[in-house]
Amino acid sequence: MTDDVFPEDSEDDAFSEDALGDGESGAEFDPAAEVDAVFEDGLLAELRQAAGILDPVPAELTRIAVEAFALHDLDARLAELTFDSLVDAIPVRGATDAPRMLTFHSGDVTIDVEVSTQGLMGQVLPPQPASIEVLTGPQSGASLVADDMGRFTSGVTPTGPFALRLRTGGDVVVTEWLRA
Amino acid sequence: MRAGTAPSTAYDDLPYTRGGAVNRGDVGALVQSAVDGDAAAWKALVEGLSPLVWSVVRAHRLSDADAHEVYQTVWFRFAQHLGRIREPQKAGAWLASTARHECLKVLKSLRRLTPTDDPQLLDRASEDRTPEQSVIDSEEAAAQSERVRYLWQEFEELGERCRQLLRVLMASPPPSYQEVSAAVGIAVGSIGPLRQRCLRRLRARLDARGAL
Repeated sequence: MTDDVFPEDSEDDAFSEDALGDGESGAEFDPAAEVDAVFEDGLLAELRQAAGILDPVPAELTRIAVEAFALHDLDARLAELTFDSLVDAIPVRGATDAPRMLTFHSGDVTIDVEVSTQGLMGQVLPPQPASIEVLTGPQSGASLVADDMGRFTSGVTPTGPFALRLRTGGDVVVTEWLRA
Repeated sequence: MRAGTAPSTAYDDLPYTRGGAVNRGDVGALVQSAVDGDAAAWKALVEGLSPLVWSVVRAHRLSDADAHEVYQTVWFRFAQHLGRIREPQKAGAWLASTARHECLKVLKSLRRLTPTDDPQLLDRASEDRTPEQSVIDSEEAAAQSERVRYLWQEFEELGERCRQLLRVLMASPPPSYQEVSAAVGIAVGSIGPLRQRCLRRLRARLDARGAL
């Protein structure tokens, strides 16, 4: 996945432009190139048809995406992901099950979350009590409570998409959806 | 996108929208309607752009489980960001870019956890029956079925970048170059020439197989 050079990574370099007889930089008005372009369009259309047969969007996924409209939440403030250890941290050698550290920000509220095989724990900052819903989809999710220090824990490790919906004072804050 | 543009042979300069069922020009308006609470507009967005998201996920060779989760994450986040997207008319590119980003994260976590790759099986049977599939099932279509199978097989065996680019390009309706660019991280101006090159490679493979 680290191949930078496009697309010299395959074994079929023998089929170079010359071998195929049409330069890709394309002469100004080359009838042969035009025939090729039509052919290429046809080939792509055929691939599109093949994808529709062999690898279509699973119907249940389309249904879930349609239902996701319920997640359009005008009342909540969005807490954006500002740190993800998966992307922003250098992994410790040999530590294969290091917890995933996430930080979300919305205005003056910060939410630190740690996802590990033991479950989920985190803290709302500045420290404050909150009621928290762990969303995994358009349906309502499990409830958690953050104590006076803003700390919360759950023994359930989220798998797949999840977001936290927090009520603190009069505020509703939802963390950006991501995949655990 | 440019509905009024006359047919041209300069295919590489045009956004790839020929034959598309969804007018990408409507996307901005659909997003706005969805923001205002129109569920039908949202459904139209899903139907028009869902194959693009799926194609991006598939282009990154995720396992089925990961592919499903990324696809859902992308749509959940899109619903969440709906009223905050700066350029609603570019929602397709937003979705493609978000999908790519999430795919790269998955690949990164896999590399971190296990050194093994999880390549997609080529002839994995789809769980969903499409109208095309029903046609394929009929005996008369056996030859066509064979053709589809080996076309897909040769496609899967292309170099990684070609396979990725073509998997996105074959989304239905066809994505714009802007969307393709967001999906695979290649400059818009490079997509045309690379598309041509990759299709030529595929054609050469089919030729070698005597399958044209």
